[in-house]
Formats: sequence, structure tokens, C-alpha cells
Amino acid sequence: MARLGMLIDLSACVGCAACAVACKMENQVPAGASRLWIREREVGRFPNLAVEFRPEQCNHCENPPCVPVCPTGASYQTKDGLVEVDVAKCIACGACAAACPYDARFTNKKGGYADKCNFCAHRLAKDQQPACVETCPAYARVFGDLDDPNSEIAKVLKAAERSDVLRPDQGTRPKVIYLNAPSKKGLTQEVSDS
Amino acid sequence: MTEFYGVPNTSEFWHWTNALHFVLVGLAGGMALLAAILTLRQHPERNRYVWLAAVLIVLDLFVLWAESPARWRFSHIWLFLSFQPGAPIWWGAWGLAAALVATAALLLKQWFVPLRRIPEVVPGLVLLLGSLVALAYPGFALAVNTTRPLWNEMMLFIFPITALLMVLAIALLLGSTWARRWEVLVAALSLALLVAYPLTLQGAAREHFNQEGLIGYGVAGLLIAVAALFFRNPRWAAALGLAGAVGVRWLLVMVGQFQSPGL
Amino acid sequence: MKLPRRNFLKLSAATVGAVSVGGAVTLTSRAKAAPAWYTKEVKQVFQICENCFWRCGIKASVVGNRVYKVDGYKENPKSRGMLCPRGQAAPAQTYDPDRLKKPLIRIEGSQRGDGRYREASWEEALDYIAKKMLGLKEQYGTESIAFFGHGTGDGWFVDFLPAAWGSPNAAKPSVSLCTAPREVAAQYTFGRAIGGHEPIDWPNTKYIVLIGHHIGEDTHNTQLQEFSEARKNGARVVVVDPRFSTAAAKADRWLPIKPGTDTALLLAWIHVLISENLYDQAFIEKYTVGMDQLVAHIKPYTPEWAEQQTEIPAQVIRQVAREMAQHKPKAILPPTRHTVWYGNDTQRMRASYILNTLLGNYGREGGFYIAMAPYLEKYPTPQLPLEPAAGGCAGPAAVVTEPEGFKPRADKGKFLANTTAIQELIEPMVSGQPYPIKGLFAYGINLFHAIPNVPRTKEALSKLDLYVAIDVLPQEHVMWADVILPEATYLERYDDFVTVAHKTPFIQLRMPAHEPLYDSKPGWWIAKELGKRIGLEQFFPWQNIEEYLDTRMQTVGLDLETMKSMGTMVQNGKPWLTDWEKENSLPFNTLSGKIELYSEALAKAGFDPLPKYEAPQAVPEGFYRLLYGRSPVHTFARTQNNPVLMEMESSNSVWLNAEEAARLGFKPGDHAYLINQDGVREGPVRLKVTQRIRKDAVYITHGFGHKAKGMALADGRGASDSYLQTRYTLDRISGGAGLRNNFVKLEKAPAPKLKSVTQLIKERGA
Ligand SMILES: Nc1nc2c(c(=O)[nH]1)N[C@H]1C(S)=C(S)[C@@H](COP(=O)(O)OP(=O)(O)OC[C@H]3O[C@@H](n4cnc5c(=O)[nH]c(N)nc54)[C@H](O)[C@@H]3O)O[C@H]1N2
Ligand SMILES: Nc1nc2c(c(=O)[nH]1)N[C@H]1C(S)=C(S)[C@@H](COP(=O)(O)OP(=O)(O)OC[C@H]3O[C@@H](n4cnc5c(=O)[nH]c(N)nc54)[C@H](O)[C@@H]3O)O[C@H]1N2
Ligand code: SF4
Ligand code: SF4
Ligand code: SF4
Ligand code: SF4
Ligand code: SF4
Ligand SMILES: [Mo]
Repeated sequence: MARLGMLIDLSACVGCAACAVACKMENQVPAGASRLWIREREVGRFPNLAVEFRPEQCNHCENPPCVPVCPTGASYQTKDGLVEVDVAKCIACGACAAACPYDARFTNKKGGYADKCNFCAHRLAKDQQPACVETCPAYARVFGDLDDPNSEIAKVLKAAERSDVLRPDQGTRPKVIYLNAPSKKGLTQEVSDS
Repeated sequence: MTEFYGVPNTSEFWHWTNALHFVLVGLAGGMALLAAILTLRQHPERNRYVWLAAVLIVLDLFVLWAESPARWRFSHIWLFLSFQPGAPIWWGAWGLAAALVATAALLLKQWFVPLRRIPEVVPGLVLLLGSLVALAYPGFALAVNTTRPLWNEMMLFIFPITALLMVLAIALLLGSTWARRWEVLVAALSLALLVAYPLTLQGAAREHFNQEGLIGYGVAGLLIAVAALFFRNPRWAAALGLAGAVGVRWLLVMVGQFQSPGL
Repeated sequence: MKLPRRNFLKLSAATVGAVSVGGAVTLTSRAKAAPAWYTKEVKQVFQICENCFWRCGIKASVVGNRVYKVDGYKENPKSRGMLCPRGQAAPAQTYDPDRLKKPLIRIEGSQRGDGRYREASWEEALDYIAKKMLGLKEQYGTESIAFFGHGTGDGWFVDFLPAAWGSPNAAKPSVSLCTAPREVAAQYTFGRAIGGHEPIDWPNTKYIVLIGHHIGEDTHNTQLQEFSEARKNGARVVVVDPRFSTAAAKADRWLPIKPGTDTALLLAWIHVLISENLYDQAFIEKYTVGMDQLVAHIKPYTPEWAEQQTEIPAQVIRQVAREMAQHKPKAILPPTRHTVWYGNDTQRMRASYILNTLLGNYGREGGFYIAMAPYLEKYPTPQLPLEPAAGGCAGPAAVVTEPEGFKPRADKGKFLANTTAIQELIEPMVSGQPYPIKGLFAYGINLFHAIPNVPRTKEALSKLDLYVAIDVLPQEHVMWADVILPEATYLERYDDFVTVAHKTPFIQLRMPAHEPLYDSKPGWWIAKELGKRIGLEQFFPWQNIEEYLDTRMQTVGLDLETMKSMGTMVQNGKPWLTDWEKENSLPFNTLSGKIELYSEALAKAGFDPLPKYEAPQAVPEGFYRLLYGRSPVHTFARTQNNPVLMEMESSNSVWLNAEEAARLGFKPGDHAYLINQDGVREGPVRLKVTQRIRKDAVYITHGFGHKAKGMALADGRGASDSYLQTRYTLDRISGGAGLRNNFVKLEKAPAPKLKSVTQLIKERGA
């Protein structure tokens, strides 16, 4: 029983979007939707500044609100912690998209099913790294089993000064974990411009 | 200043077809409840409402299937081949199906003799149960999404009550005078809920509601108020109340897809 | 009235859930959504990415007549298994429906720029060109045709064909509009080139000072990888940039310098290292000449003086100087690549190299390594009448005097360096001085987006007798040509080997992943077919490209077939001084055989032998200095029709300091027109109101503001920096064209009424 997750080291990530483009090409993600996108936000005032380059994708939550709301069982959690969509059962009703606190899901109109990051399950099946991890030219991504103490992901996580997840208040226990956020207060949040 | 490469999927996940479904399911569920009560009380007009309930349920199930991009894969069968108690839509599918079967049992009696042996109270009770589930599930389908601040617990009350308002208004329009008393009561109850709802919103949710939905919500509220208080011409009041209820449901589905800026 | 929301819902779901049988009933078979192409029979082909000039070795995954995915591969020293965003998206250009498909000939009687064409066969088009070329040769001589080009195929169209035809007027934008100052400065200082692959030993360095050099937005793949490795290995980073770039966001210290004053900062750092005796004395004594003159020269350039010019506090200047000295020799100021800034750039690069030399880092771990070109012989052809004159990142070619019977290159004498300067070859097309240029080939170069002073370029084009464009997209400049030849894109063709000077020199192969789509042809075929028609048959003795490549590969003991199974052949180099000293030689090909802090050669040519400081032109009242740079997800002006990259970023925006925005009454998300000092207007372009830039400058990324109807996604989005750069300051030493002396003012503009990129992609179906 593995607990597969992803680390993104925000001190290494330069927000170049190579991962997002690799994901689009590898998974033929339709125009107008994304499995992975980069959010870039500046913090502070000239000249004391920081910039958070933050890739976002499905967090393969341990307590995924997008699974129980699925009326056909198409949205399911594998035993090693992937949150996947069984295309055959999916009725593209969008209930899972409604439930996701991270805007990670979209409806693949042509295929008629809910789509999102699936941790490149087809590559994992052949012992390959996910496309985004493999292409990252800044060594910012680590993928692996969080429960395996001598896996790279577990070691890097343990060594990190601080780690943060998105919207911890939602109780979803995300498994995409951000290390070394540039601002001391952790991950930045949208401040309504008004 | 937030910039993006690639875009998060913040566009609508439910479109006008889904909003239409949320209206139709209210009509279907409400009519089924009405039909069930009239059947259990062996009310002379029950047959008409059982027919109406059946037609509305079929129409709603058709829209549910037709608007889905997965329509030609007929994967909707899995609604009935899997057991998803955590999914309001799963409950809705079973509730509507049960109600449909019950209406069929009641209506096909004329042509299918063996059915006559079943006392009307049995399909009546199934219809009642199915209709209650069908009435409740739309509210849950919204409120279960704790990440959408506009879809809070008030949905559990607004959707069933406005459903009843719609069907009672229709009954009134069809000349069933007995519906008058109930329609005014339900309209008043709806109005109370609509006045209370904005108070339950805070911060970014309230801001979004005020910017995107306030006018529509206000107009719908007014129409329902007329239905509740305007005595002189009950038909007019019912029609406006119906329109108000449809408007509120439509608006809450579309405007409520807002995700508070937690990211 | 806040209902106890969370637990209420939890309760209701839980009670309902408790009834269920341990979560959802799961059936065994699960149809996971693997991408369709992945499930089919996939062929792997070694290739080279062409979406910029870094040229990463890639593996292309091919199904039938389409490449679905490209990936780097570990054995290739450029990609090393990773790709940048542009490399990942490059295949989308091959299947871009707006692509050029058939040769086009401009309709007789139409004006250049009308864009009215008729389709033609390759024979007709090539015959048309040959006839015109031979006519111009008769009337004006072979030198009257200029060959501009860039990209892997520029070997044929800028180095080989012009040298065979007999024209010295061959030029690449990557010289005088990119690397010329740093290459020329390196020749006069180290007697060596920097080279196309910057020879920085990033992983072992401990202290990095980036002057400009916006790594992270400049996403040259290996450089970004190794910069990240350096940081993970604990290197401290200082970034000197008027803008809080991505690199500055990763730095330990950001110096928001006043634009155009970097030489003052460099001179002050040299001053501190010398005055506080912090430099590597042994290295200086052993490997350099001119230290005494430098010590005298540097006296006045104190940190206090530099603070007046740069607005960086003197005590910060002193502190950084000490820190870099403390980490020597594993401290380095990488030279950056685009060094044509203010017109005095060669001297700025000289100052940077002198400082690096004081840190004793040249040819040593953690500093510059000494790159060597791989050994690979040319295909034997008869002696070319001329030497290739365009130079390139491998350093200027030594064309000092032209052979008998040939006029010198038309820009000779305008500057000291021996290579051509592309922007200086346009004047002869307009004025006919020193002699008329009447014909132009534009192979894979963006005439209106890569060369400053666009009005002059348009005037030049309208005066030509022959203008041929060989491209893959209907760019604005392409639609001015008399003949348009559609080249097959990189995935559909062989090209000559790519040889890279590196710590471990290597040779890379590009082979077609599938047949060329439409009626497009590979560059080598076009060059050979044209060569046959203009009397250059003997210079193309090989039957086809496979034979050509196989013959060359034999000279290193391999053949094309084995190379097809390897993709890259790596040789060993001599990266460190110690390697050279073992053979008791030094790598410095200067007059003195050492690193020349004081340049005798420059003095003799009438230039400052030691770098001096020139204040930049002042910013006119009400204007801002226009700075520009790279978007991480776009390459120059060539990817703005790539659907995948345009979904990532569909327009540039103008960075404006937040206080300036407030003063001018601009709000975030507003749009503005940019109007330069000569009244040229660009935009509307979206405003990025930000703290991340000084008040005296604005910044836009290069490559947008396309005016090309045929490029559906690119047309009309954003503002073009090159259109706004009507002026440039010529660097009299290197021929580089300093682009950063253009200024703009901002005016309110309506948001452009354009369909969204997503909508256009759906309408075009790709
Ligand atoms: N994504 C992507 N990457 C690319 C390319 C691409 O097209 N796309 N092109 C490649 C090529 S060919 C090149 S030449 C390189 C160019 O990339 P670089 O060689 O890095 O270009 P620079 O001009 O050194 O750096 C631009 C930075 O200089 C800053 N700057 C502007 N004026 C000044 C000044 O007066 N002083 C200082 N200290 N800084 C200043 C700007 O704010 C900007 O951040 O990029 C390469 N990488
Ligand atoms: N204003 C401004 N000017 C600049 C710069 C800047 O930052 N700002 N940067 C300078 C620098 S550093 C450089 S290196 C130069 C780069 O200058 P260029 O290389 O001219 O720039 P690109 O826009 O990439 O132009 C490439 C052209 O080749 C075409 N093309 C793409 N692929 C192929 C192919 O496979 N075959 C053929 N035949 N054509 C192809 C494209 O459609 C495009 O027309 O620009 C310089 N000029
Ligand atoms: S590829 Fe790596 S550095 Fe670039 S945005 Fe993705 S995670 Fe960040
Ligand atoms: S991020 Fe969203 S889609 Fe992914 S597991 Fe969590 S709730 Fe589900
Ligand atoms: S869209 Fe598909 S996966 Fe999502 S809830 Fe509906 S049926 Fe389940
Ligand atoms: S793991 Fe695969 S599907 Fe998920 S974001 Fe990365 S590339 Fe995309
Ligand atoms: S740096 Fe990027 S665009 Fe340039 S060759 Fe490498 S992968 Fe291609
Ligand atoms: Mo360049």
C-alpha cells in the first residue's frame, strides 16, 4: 500500500511552465482546460520583494471530496493513493468538479468524461516518472511514495525547512506538498484587489 | 498582482442545461410529492397530477442524459449499477426512478389488469418516498460542496421549498383551488428563506453575490412576495410565484459556482 | 447567523455513509484515461529541438505521420533528459494549419507588402530565383546579393551558399544583435571565443553575479539546469537588474541598478579587489599582461563614485566585491548572451572579463572552463571562393582581407570586428553605398522583429530587385517577398550535424520523424537545387543528405546508421588550464599569448585599451527607457502562432512601477499604447502594475505585436519591442547594435477586441 505524492520545491521552481506544457502534450489536454498551470504572485514592496512561482494541479488528496460525490463510482481512489477517473463509468456530470477546492478538474467535452491530473498513471505503469517531473529543468519536482522512508520524496520532505499544502482548512489532506515557500507566512493567497 | 501560465479550471462547470435540470428536477420532485399525497388521500384529481409527475420525471431524466457529453456512451447505467451513498446525484437518480415506477404502476392500471390488484397505497407510498428524495437531493448536491461558499446549508431548505411553490402554483393555474392555501403558505416560507439567505453569506462570498446575483435575486424575491401577498387575483399571483421560484433556482446554480479565493 | 456548517454536513454525509458497505463498490476493470497515442505503436527517433538556437538533443515519439511528444535524453549534454517549455511545445508548430504549404510567387504588378501571391511549383520558383540572381550578378556582381539567416539551416544559406556564390554580405542576427560584444571582447581578452554553449562550470561555482542574464525567463535548457544545480550545491547568487527578474527572485541579493550603468559597477568592483588586494595574485602574474596599467587606470573608479552612477550604495558594492573575492576562484560573473545593450558593450564585457580574471577563475573549476569544438571533417568540396563571413557564436571568422576580384563586405570599416553586422547591411540596400545590394535571401530570420529600425528595413525591401524568403510561417516580413519557399519543419528533415564546443565536445544528429507535410522541402534540398541552377553544381558533389552525413561521420570512425541509433557522439575535451599545461601550452591566442587586461591591439586600433565608463543617454522628460527580455514560454517572434504556447501566454504586457501607474492614473489590467521618441505607436498592450521594476523604465517581453494576417493566433496581440526600436547605438568595436536607447511614453488605450486564443484554436481545429 503506497501513498503516492509529489513535492514541489518553491525555492527551485522558476515558474517556466515546462511542466505545464509537457503535461498538455503528453496527455493531449484540450484547448481551454489545464491539468497543470503556474500561478505567479509578487509579495512585498520595492526593493524588498519576493515572487512565488507556484505550479498547481490535482493534489490527489487523501480525503478527496471529489470521490464520494460521484454518482457512478467513476471517481475513485486507488490503493496507492491516486485519485483517478474511470472513463467508462463517468457521465460527465461535473459533481466532482463542483466538489474540488482546487479547480483541478474539467470536463473533457470531446471524450465526455471528467479530466484532471492523474499523476500520468500510464507512465507510472511503465516505471517512468510523470511527464512534469521528468522535464523540469530546475529539479523542483520529486514524485514517489510518501510512506517509503528511504524513497527520495520522503528524505527530501524530512529535510525541508517548511512544507505547506493548499487550503489546509478544507481537510482534504493534499499530497502535492510545497517546500520552502518564499514568503515567511507560507503560501500566498489571493487578496481581492478592492 | 497574480499572473498565470496556463489557466486553472475556474470557468463554469455547470451551464444553462444544468440550471434547466435543477428547475425541472424541482418540478418533477414537487409534482411527485403532490401526486403521492393526493393518491394516499384518494383525492379525485389525483390522476391528473400523477400524469404530470410522470411526464416531468421523464422530461428531467431526458435532460439529464441529453445535456451530458457522455450521452452516447450510455454510462448513465452506472447510476444504477453502483452504490454511492455519499453522492446526492446518486440518491436523486434512485429517487426519481422509484417515483417514475410508482407513477407507472398507478397509470398503467387502466390497460394492464393485473396491476389493479395492488392497492393504490403501495405505489402511493413509493411515490411519496421517491418524491421526498427527489426534492431533497438538489439542495444536497449543492451544499455538499463545502468549498463553494454560496452553496451553504440554506440550499437544503430553499430548493425543496421553491420546488413545492412551483408545483402548487401550477396546480392553482390548473384550477385546483384547494392548492391556494398551501401555495400562499409555501410562498411566504420561500420569501422568509430568501430574505434570510444573504445574511448567511460573508466576506468574498457576499461580495461575489452582491456583484453577480443581487439584481436577479431581488427580482425573483419580489415575484415570490407577490405570490405570497397578492390576494386579488390568485392565478396571476401563482404565475409570478412560479417565475420567481424558477429564477431563484437558476440564479443560485449559476452564481453559486463561485470558489472563494482560497488559493 | 453562521450555521455550524462543517459538522452539520459531515454528520449528514456520515450517517448516510455509515449505511454503505465500506465506501464505493469497485469493479475490477478500470478504463484509465491513457492518452490515445500512447496506446498505439510508437516509434522513437533521435532529433534536435529547433525551437531556439540552444539545440537540445531530443527523442521524438512518432505514431504514423505525427510526432505527439518529444523528450530530452540523458546521453545528450544539452537536454540531459529535460526540456524547456518551448521544446516541449515545438511539435505543435509542425501541425500548425497556418504553416506555409507551397512555394508562392508574388503576383506581377503587385507592390511588396501587398501580400498577393500565386502558388507555384518548386521548379518554377527556383528557376525564377536563379534567373534573377544571374541577372543581378551580371549587372552588379555577386556581392550585390545579401544572405541573412538563422537556425540550423543557416549553415547552408549563410555560411556555405554565399561563400560559394561569392558574396561576403552574409549575416546572422545572433551576432551583431546578440553575442558580438561578448565574443569580440573575449577575442581581445582571452584570444578565444565564449561560444554558443556558455562554458560556465555552474555546478561547482560558489558565488554567481548575474548582470542582466535573466535565467528562468531566458530558459536556455542546460543553463537553467546547471544554474539550479549551482543553487542546490549552495552557491550564493547576486543579480544586477533594474527589474526584479525571476533570477532576482532566486538570488540572495538583488541590486536594482540604474539602467546602462553596469560598467561603473564593474569598474568599482575591480577597484575594490585591487585596492584591498583581494585578487588572485598568482593567477594574474602567471597568466595575464597589463596589470600595472590596470592598477593605475582603476584608481578613480571608487565605490563612492559608482554609487552616483548606479544608485547602488557604495558599502553594498564594497561588500559584494569582498564576498566574490572570498569565494574565488569559484566565483564568476557569467557573460550573459544578449549583450547589445547601450552601444559601449564590448568595453562592458571587457570589464567583466577583467574582473573574472582578477578572481582567477578562467580555466579553473567553478569558473570558465575551456570549451573545445568536436573533431568532424567537412564534406570534401572544391575550395570556396570566399570564407564564410557571418561568424556566429563560435567567434568571429578571421576574414581580414577579401580575396582577389571580390569587393569587401558592404559594412567593412564601420566597426573593428571582422564579422558582418546584419543591421549595417541594410543601409546599402537603401543608399547604394558603398555599393548597391539589390538581392536578399531571408532564411529563418525575422526581418521586422529581429532587426531594429523597421521603417528603414521596409524601405530597403521595397528597393530590392529580388527578395526571397525561406520560412515555415507567413510572418509579416515573409509576405513581402517576391518568392516564398516553405521549408519542411525540423521534425520533417535531415540537417547537417550540429557540432557543439563544450567541456565534452559533441556531435548531434537530426533525422526526419516522418515525410514533410504539404509541399515543403528541407533546407539542404533547396540549397542544392538552387546551387545547380546558379552554376554552383561542383560545390554540391554529394547525391543526397544521407551520403553527405555518412561521409562526414566516417571521418570520426562511425557511420550514419550507428549515429541514428545513438543521436549524440560525445568526445573528450581539455576544459582546465592544467590540461593545457600538461602539454605545456596555454589556450590564449592573444598577441601576448596571455590574458590581456590591457589590450595592445585595441590601443593600436584607436580604442580604449582599458574599459572606461560612459554615462547612458538620459531618459527624456515624460518617457521611460524601454527594456525588453524573454518570456519563458516563447522564443523570439517565432512561437506566437504555436497553440500550446499561446495558451500559456497569449500576449506580452508592459511592466510599469506601481507608483508611476498611480501617478498616471493606470489601474492593474488597464491597457496602454506605447509611443516611442520617434512617434511610433505600439499596442494596445495590457499593463502589469508591479513593484518589480524601477520608476525610470518599463519592460516588455520580445516577440509579440505581430502584424501578420496569415498567423491567426499571433496577429494583433501585444506590442512589438522591435517596432519601437527605431534607433540603435552602434558599438564601434564589435558592430553590435545597442537596442536600449529607445524610450516610450504611455497613453490610455481600450482593451483590444480579439477572439480568445482558445476560441481560435477550437475554430481552426488545432
Ligand atoms: N524563453 C526563451 N529563452 C531564451 C530565448 C528565447 O527566445 N526564449 N532566447 C535566447 C537567446 S538567443 C538569448 S540572446 C538570451 C537572451 O537572454 P539574456 O542573455 O539573459 O538577455 P539579457 O539582455 O542579458 O537579460 C535581460 C535582462 O536584462 C535586464 N536589463 C535591462 N537593461 C539592463 C541594464 O542596463 N543593466 C542590467 N544589469 N540589466 C538590464 C532586463 O530587465 C532583463 O531582465 O535568451 C536565450 N533564452
Ligand atoms: N527587438 C529585439 N530584437 C532582437 C532581440 C530582442 O530581444 N529584441 N533579440 C536578438 C537576439 S538575442 C537574437 S539571437 C535574434 C534572433 O533573431 P531571429 O532568429 O531572426 O528571430 P526569430 O523570431 O526566431 O525568427 C526566426 C524566423 O525563422 C522562421 N522559422 C522558424 N522555424 C524555421 C525553420 O525550421 N526553417 C526556416 N526556414 N525558418 C524557420 C520563423 O518563422 C521566423 O520568421 O534576434 C535579435 N533581435
Ligand atoms: S518545470 Fe519545474 S521550474 Fe518550471 S514551472 Fe514546472 S516545476 Fe517550476
Ligand atoms: S485536488 Fe481536487 S480533484 Fe484532486 S483529489 Fe483533491 S479534490 Fe479531488
Ligand atoms: S463527472 Fe464523472 S467522475 Fe465526476 S462526478 Fe460525474 S461521473 Fe463522477
Ligand atoms: S503528473 Fe502527469 S498529468 Fe499530472 S500534472 Fe504532471 S504531467 Fe500532468
Ligand atoms: S532550450 Fe528549449 S527551445 Fe531551445 S532547443 Fe532546448 S528545448 Fe528547444
Ligand atoms: Mo540571442
